[in-house]
Amino acid sequence: MPKPSLAGRLPSWTRYLWWNTDHKVIGLQYIVTTFIFFLLGGLMAMLIRAELLRPGFDLMNGAEYDRLFTNHGSVMLFLWIIPVLAGFGNYLIPLMIGARDMAFPRLNALSFWLIPPAGLLMLASFFVGGAEAGWTAYVPLSIRGPDGQTLWAISVVILGMSSILGAINFVTTVFTMRAEGMTIWRLPLFVWGILATSLLVLTATPVLAAGLILVAMDRLFGTLFFSVAAGGDPVLWQNIFWFYSHPAVYIMVLPAMGIISEVIPVFARKPLFGYKPIAMSSMAISVLGLTVWAHHMFTSGMDPRLRIPYMISSMVIAVPTGVKFFSWLATMWDGKLRINTPMLFAMGFMSLFVIGGITGIFLASIPIDLHVHDSYFVVAHLHYVLFGGSVSAVYAGLYYWFPKITGRMYDERLGIVHFVLNFLGTSLAYLPQFEAGLLGMPRRVADYADQFTTLNALSSVGAFLLGISTLPFLYNAIVSWATGPKAAANPWRALTLEWTTSSPPPAENFEDIPVVSSGPYDFGQTPAVSPAATPAGGS
Amino acid sequence: MSEHMTSHAEAYRSGRALGLQPLKLGMWLFLASEVMFFGGLISAFLHYKVNNPSTEGALLDVPLVGVNTFVLLTSSFTVVLGLSAIRQGDRRGLVRFLAATVLLGVAFLGGQAYEFVSLYGHGVTLNGSLFGSTFFTLTGFHGLHVLIGLIWALSTLYGALRGRYAADRYEGVEVFGLYWHFVDVVWIVLFTIIYLV
Amino acid sequence: MNGRRIATVVLVAAALVGLGFLAARSLDLMPEQASTRAVLVDQLFRWLLGVATVIFLIVQGGLLYAVIRFRRRPGDESDGPPIHGNARLEIVWTLIPAVIVALIAFYSFRVLAASEEPEDSPLVVEVSARQFTWQFHYPEAGITSAELHLPVGRQVRFEITSDDVIHSFWIPEFRVKRDATPGQVAELLVTPSQIGRFAIRCAELCGPGHATMTSEVVVDSPADFAAWLAGQRAPAASGDPAQAARASFDRYGCYGCHTLADAQASGSVGPVLDGIGQTAATRVEGLQAQEYLRQSILEPGAFVVPGYADGLMPSNLGERMTPEEIDTLVAYLLSQ
Repeated sequence: MPKPSLAGRLPSWTRYLWWNTDHKVIGLQYIVTTFIFFLLGGLMAMLIRAELLRPGFDLMNGAEYDRLFTNHGSVMLFLWIIPVLAGFGNYLIPLMIGARDMAFPRLNALSFWLIPPAGLLMLASFFVGGAEAGWTAYVPLSIRGPDGQTLWAISVVILGMSSILGAINFVTTVFTMRAEGMTIWRLPLFVWGILATSLLVLTATPVLAAGLILVAMDRLFGTLFFSVAAGGDPVLWQNIFWFYSHPAVYIMVLPAMGIISEVIPVFARKPLFGYKPIAMSSMAISVLGLTVWAHHMFTSGMDPRLRIPYMISSMVIAVPTGVKFFSWLATMWDGKLRINTPMLFAMGFMSLFVIGGITGIFLASIPIDLHVHDSYFVVAHLHYVLFGGSVSAVYAGLYYWFPKITGRMYDERLGIVHFVLNFLGTSLAYLPQFEAGLLGMPRRVADYADQFTTLNALSSVGAFLLGISTLPFLYNAIVSWATGPKAAANPWRALTLEWTTSSPPPAENFEDIPVVSSGPYDFGQTPAVSPAATPAGGS
Repeated sequence: MSEHMTSHAEAYRSGRALGLQPLKLGMWLFLASEVMFFGGLISAFLHYKVNNPSTEGALLDVPLVGVNTFVLLTSSFTVVLGLSAIRQGDRRGLVRFLAATVLLGVAFLGGQAYEFVSLYGHGVTLNGSLFGSTFFTLTGFHGLHVLIGLIWALSTLYGALRGRYAADRYEGVEVFGLYWHFVDVVWIVLFTIIYLV
Repeated sequence: MNGRRIATVVLVAAALVGLGFLAARSLDLMPEQASTRAVLVDQLFRWLLGVATVIFLIVQGGLLYAVIRFRRRPGDESDGPPIHGNARLEIVWTLIPAVIVALIAFYSFRVLAASEEPEDSPLVVEVSARQFTWQFHYPEAGITSAELHLPVGRQVRFEITSDDVIHSFWIPEFRVKRDATPGQVAELLVTPSQIGRFAIRCAELCGPGHATMTSEVVVDSPADFAAWLAGQRAPAASGDPAQAARASFDRYGCYGCHTLADAQASGSVGPVLDGIGQTAATRVEGLQAQEYLRQSILEPGAFVVPGYADGLMPSNLGERMTPEEIDTLVAYLLSQ
């Protein structure tokens, strides 16, 4: 249980600056820290798109550009999207299951505190030559690169450890600390998303760690794992790397889809359609996600026949994904939709992710992939699913749980402005990139043939719009947090347990641990079922 | 959705119904991730063993390391005996068997060190060949895990001497035991694929 | 489900499929088709585009419709109906996508098999990639060239490898790509179907020169191809040393990293060589221009120009080039 703070003389917000075992503090530390890395990664993106505004090496040379996109990708994946979703998990899971904290509070704090040093290490790599081999670090290029590559590898290993420790905590907490009546089939779907994600984190992340250690050893100690002259196999790295990095993309999206499942029923005032199928689809995507990695290697010269099963499994993943989408639509059907900002971003998620998801099917088809692999088609696909998808879901979650976390309400009009700019920016930035790829523009290039100029210019304008779109969000978040109207315990009249306690929750989450007697999305009952008012922090 | 119930510290431990204790579940999950870590290293080793066979494998001292394997297996057995002892309240038994575990573990590491030095003497080095790289990395990381286990064993032993454990309070020993058995099982796999096959 | 409902569903479905067809037929998103494979791939692509359009419209349409039709009426604080699921509907929307996916997988498999069907006596071309150039070796004719020429209508078997890091050999108009991995040879079968010039691009990050690691494939008529091949076999007996130097500049890959207008090279990894004839004399105190140039070729790390990275220029040119080639090249560079 959290010890009483002895920081009597310091303002209470300073407790977020050092070691604290309260999962709510840790969750917020995760969210704020990762958002700072998001902004840094976003700045790098602005530089990238500024360089790509016109053909030719305008702002930097090839090596500098390689460093830039390597770090943009690495920061966005390892220092933003994976840990921010873990941050949401940290804040919400004990509340959602009716617990006072996570199973291992000190391990939890450690998981967070691994992130700032690892992040600084990755950024420090710039000062010793930088990492230049892409976030995929293919060998032999990554073995030969400047010293920064080693720092990069160590940084990613540390971040992997943080992720694994988090997963151990999430699974143990959910399986041993649920409140009475909170059966598996009454768990909120965000929790299911985190469970499915944790399976992947535990299974796949350690394999990447092993691979990165082999790369680091080749660089530092002269081992010969990837030395072609000594018999090393560059394709082995690809297998090890993608065994993690494909499931990684589901790590980046399953909790996000969980957030969408939380938001839609609340703003449609209807039960979530197909709760069990959606829960099972998360597990299906998780398990299937471990079987598809070689679809990143169709052009690698791998045994041609071996490509077929990977094509099939990669396409099959569309089925459970479709189940979610149709269920979400069915939830909205005949509902009483309230189009607040969280709902806007949830629908934005669906609208944008579906483009990313469909283009995934194109990529899974081997003949098409042989044409568009490593082209801007892939860049467009990944940004649609990660930015159009996961980041939209993160924003949906930030707005949805803003009142719960901060105790204040955000400004709704600014939220709408943010959404519109974000949606337009995303579409303009990434739609043209599909065509650029189809026409023959490779990825990871600062210079390109004249025929790609218009498409790149459009994309860059879209990207700049995206950069601008973060401003209303930042303003909204900061000013509302400081001076926004106080929020009730349950401004959305939602039914999951975090809304039964005050906004923000007290140190031990609940005055009395609730006993659960119905599901998390049981809207539409007559008389209307809403959480009974609690004496402390009532609605 | 909820009614109220006065909470006790135990009230939210719903996992009890499934017989799950957090510390042990956490350790199992950690060990699962460790299995995958070694899996990564093992797959690199096997990939090269199959595709780039090396004559240096003939220099491996199978009998010596076979005995060493037996030593490590025995150390797992002593952990089991120690756990069984403390379950019956036999603190001195726990101390004895934990001490035996430490000694056997040290002997194992000694045996490994001897094998490493002898291989170096024959020119098989970490960065001299692909075989050397994969062999020393795989067995080296295992040895590192044994070393960490030994430090943990010493700490558990110290706790046992201070009376930390009793017939109704031995979860710490169990959790240590899980880790130590895991290190042992990994070694069995390693020994098989490196020395026997 | 009553008759009205069924009719609506059928109508909407028909409209969606119609729009899907329209999109598939009218959207021209691919570049020119210059190989027989390209035709098959593009057809597959169009089918997928049609299916994608239908799914896209269902989701976007569903969202728009929901926002308009099911928006809460002002003052209505009640909940929607307590519907938790519908087994039949859920089975339908699981099975139909599964069937579609199975069909797509099967169709893709068929296209792949047809695309990679080996023919008798293909033309073999060995492709070697190195930072940051492509070299093409014709084993049967025994010639090596920095240019890729192919006869139209005859299957080529590319045997692709790399001398240093992983590159990827991509010809967009052929719709084919295969990685060039050091220590391995990857095979690629393709039959050019159009006469013309088409881009070759490197599609795997290979270092600072990745973006400019481009080349061209020239697809000729069989007669023109044979003539080109013959011309390569008999090296130009023209006494023009500048011509010979430019040929070396190509053959040894200098164009991949250096800019030299006279040789039509615009690489940007290494120093610009325009005007090198003048600057060579000033670069190192006491070192003649000629010596400076010669040493810079044989020992690339000797005088690294500030702002450029050491370690990228091949250090074995002294072994690969003949003394005459080096002399000719140095003389040529002195004149730039």
